[in-house]
Amino acid sequence: MIDAAFLQPNEQGLADRFMSEGFVTSPADDRAGLDRIQRRAAELAAEHLRLPHANDPYDLLETIHSRVIPDELNGLRMHVIAGLNAEPWLRPTYFRLARSTIETIVGNELCMQRRVNLSIQLPADDSSLLATHSDVWSGDSPFEVVVWVPLVDVFRTKSMFLLPPQFNGEMQDRMASLRSAEELYKIIKPHLVWIDIPYGHVMVFNQTLMHGNRVNKEKGTRWSMNCRFKSIMSPYADKRFGEFFEPISLRPATRIGMQYKLPGGFNG
Amino acid sequence: MVERSGHRGYIGARPLNGSRTPQHVQNIVIRDYARRKNLQFLLSAVEHVMPGSYMILEDLLDELPRLGGIICYSIFMLPPDERRRREVYDRVLREGCNLHAAVEEIAIASNDDIGAVEDILLVNKYATIL
Repeated sequence: MIDAAFLQPNEQGLADRFMSEGFVTSPADDRAGLDRIQRRAAELAAEHLRLPHANDPYDLLETIHSRVIPDELNGLRMHVIAGLNAEPWLRPTYFRLARSTIETIVGNELCMQRRVNLSIQLPADDSSLLATHSDVWSGDSPFEVVVWVPLVDVFRTKSMFLLPPQFNGEMQDRMASLRSAEELYKIIKPHLVWIDIPYGHVMVFNQTLMHGNRVNKEKGTRWSMNCRFKSIMSPYADKRFGEFFEPISLRPATRIGMQYKLPGGFNG
Repeated sequence: MVERSGHRGYIGARPLNGSRTPQHVQNIVIRDYARRKNLQFLLSAVEHVMPGSYMILEDLLDELPRLGGIICYSIFMLPPDERRRREVYDRVLREGCNLHAAVEEIAIASNDDIGAVEDILLVNKYATIL
């Protein structure tokens, strides 16, 4: 339990919500930055599909299913995410979208995933689904959080699902008796929460909880980005420092501490 | 009739033979293998870090009716139990698919190919490495 006397009431509220629900959503701290990311994603998509640049990036992204078929989707996704990651402003901007929440939930001395990811889900397309999982099961550290940013409104099956913390332990205990992730989904399905997030908001979620997506049965295409953050000095798993994460806010006291050597040469 | 398309990558988060390879490097190896063998590479699935779990492999086997096959990063990612491994081979071949291992550059496309893979796994079990 965090001692409320050391935290502002709003920080305490956020921390309590994260612990009890497994996620928090909030308006982007840097709305202009989010619009810039959305606009650049739309430009890159138009470029790949040889379309004129759209005046309404939201509309272009959400209706992209009318211009691309599932077999072409990965090529489009790779073009857009490579183009976004090539922008030197992308990662600092992405961090600023959720900085206040990240600093409350994780800390203020952080490392960030080196590449931001992009997911595109066309309506009724079953070719790019993410089976039920926890990131920890595929090599992420339980000390990480995911910052998940939709570039369009997401709701119901156009969004992602999360298993609330109160069910996660019990379901994990049953896993070893199950054959596949699909069987796992069927077991957890009654307890899942589908997270509605309007464009302009961002989510920070606990990636140790089971989550994933299903076929998008809504009318529009989902575009969402995700990126992991963790406290620099917290333990790493298979996603290592350097190759997967890099520091973004190493503080002076830590730099001094890492370089400090006690006086030597004593012979007594 | 579902149209088959591409080969799904299969990478892991557990050490193999005592060595760890970053996941993005495993993907590079698979992508390069797919390019050289003229196979369409589909985004990899990552096996669980928990020892003995093959849930992700099972999901890939369930997906076989829609795939041309699977490209494992290494043949040593397959289950250590021979009976379970042979079930994997049987399902792959029964579905008319093939199973590749990128590091070892070996593939199972028919029953005749199984012996060579099993020989590698068997020798690895008993041979020591200096």
